Amino acid sequence: MTNRWEKMLNIDRRWLYLLIAIVVIVPFFIRMGLPVVPTQEVRSVYDLVDSLGPDDAIFIGWDFDPGTEAENMPMGVAVLRHAFARHVPVFITAVSPLGQGLAEQGVASVFDTRVPGNFVYVPWAEWESVREAGYVGRDSLESAWEAAGNPLPEGARGWVFEGVDYAHLGYLPYFSLVILGMGTSIANQYPTDAYGNNLHDMPMLQAHKNLREVDLAVTLAGSSACMWWILYGTSRVGLPVAFGVTAVMATDYFPYIQSGQVVGMMGGLRGAAEYEVLETEGGYTETTGKAYRGMDVQSLAHILIILLVILGNIAYFAGGFHKKTALKSRR
Amino acid sequence: MYETIGLWVAAIFTLAVFSFLYKENPLYRLAEHLVVGTSLGYSIVLTYQRVLVPRLIDPVSHGENLIMIVPAILGLLYITRFFPKVAWLSRYPIAFLLGTGMGVAFPYDMQTYILRQIQATMIPLYTPGAPWYDTLGAIVIVFGTLAGIIYFFFSKPHKGLFFGFGSKVGIWLIMIGFGATFGFTVMGRISLLIGRVQFLLGDWLGLLN
Repeated sequence: MTNRWEKMLNIDRRWLYLLIAIVVIVPFFIRMGLPVVPTQEVRSVYDLVDSLGPDDAIFIGWDFDPGTEAENMPMGVAVLRHAFARHVPVFITAVSPLGQGLAEQGVASVFDTRVPGNFVYVPWAEWESVREAGYVGRDSLESAWEAAGNPLPEGARGWVFEGVDYAHLGYLPYFSLVILGMGTSIANQYPTDAYGNNLHDMPMLQAHKNLREVDLAVTLAGSSACMWWILYGTSRVGLPVAFGVTAVMATDYFPYIQSGQVVGMMGGLRGAAEYEVLETEGGYTETTGKAYRGMDVQSLAHILIILLVILGNIAYFAGGFHKKTALKSRR
Repeated sequence: MYETIGLWVAAIFTLAVFSFLYKENPLYRLAEHLVVGTSLGYSIVLTYQRVLVPRLIDPVSHGENLIMIVPAILGLLYITRFFPKVAWLSRYPIAFLLGTGMGVAFPYDMQTYILRQIQATMIPLYTPGAPWYDTLGAIVIVFGTLAGIIYFFFSKPHKGLFFGFGSKVGIWLIMIGFGATFGFTVMGRISLLIGRVQFLLGDWLGLLN
């Protein structure tokens, strides 16, 4: 009998990997649509973005590397989509070189017009003629752009004009000092954007010259770099900051929500899925995204892991391994 | 065309990394080394293009912003680490960086990590009209923080009602915290796996709508 328990405790871990693989692959084809209930931490971020408009501005910090892309990317895409739908100007930054590339990927997925409900990107150079004719505001820009023979493609949700709705500032080293510098002037820290365009000329830079004129920074982080936004953004200029962090990091940052230093937090894939649900409920997207789809899988994988932990404990106690004598005899 | 090639390369190397789950093998090691190498190569190129060229090389070569030569020289001193006889020179940029970092960060660190966190613990246990769960939360925060601090107070033996019971409550709360962290860690690891499986099934094989 004991031998059986021992065998169970010493099972080849590759069988467990196989079980996890089955549980992670199969639910993608059998969609269960288990409910994802948004928590207050995520709702706070959503509500703040939802209260903003074209006169406000937000920063989205792509402060992660490919290692945590699966968790952080859906958060970034969800917040970006929400901000674009409300015409909130978005500045994008990155604390690492790889983060800049990932930001470009994330933004490109929102600008992929093959997907219904996405946005059409108008690069800075492309709307130069409209700009030279006299830019007076976002609505007039959109009207002038369409009047110039640019109809909104079918299925697209709206236009995103570089320099008005969106600026990709890119990567700079020693980002903590960059945040400090942006407290005085964003354009001094980033004379050009990631594509070499002059930021001083961009309308959104003229309307939001420094972090004091920005309404929110959402940092999507896979490391403690997210704290720089609080250290130098919140503490110095009072910038509201929201976190989108990996699940591993989430528990570390709950105290900052309670203290009011962080507006809210998206923790891991679940946090991203909650944001997607809120967006769908708010009518900003027709369907939820990748994070929500992954939650069925997540739930089933958790059930399997819980079962395995329980089975392991049963084997441990039923086999008498909890007794010191039993352990000694097997050394 | 390039997109398709990229997808296939990514998929093959994803499978190569997963092959480690069966056992260590050369394909896994190749993928591991390529990830580190390409990441570093990409970072160097981007840093050169985004930082060195526009902020140092271009202005200085045009005779502008010549003060940038000073930090450039300080930066170059790091390279002296490779030459034992002059390696001591690398201490200057390190000292400069650490000194500046400490000077800039110290007041904000104090405010963010200590003062605001202490302030967040000094809350009323009961607020008239507040729901019961807020009161319970306030009690857990106040007494939990105290118990946690008592556990880490080693100048007195952990005996008696205050130090003995307090430290026991403290360790239980710390363990609950660790448990929550472990649970989140499991969730995080599964999320990463889900991300890769989504890529393989959806982006690569096109099996997901």
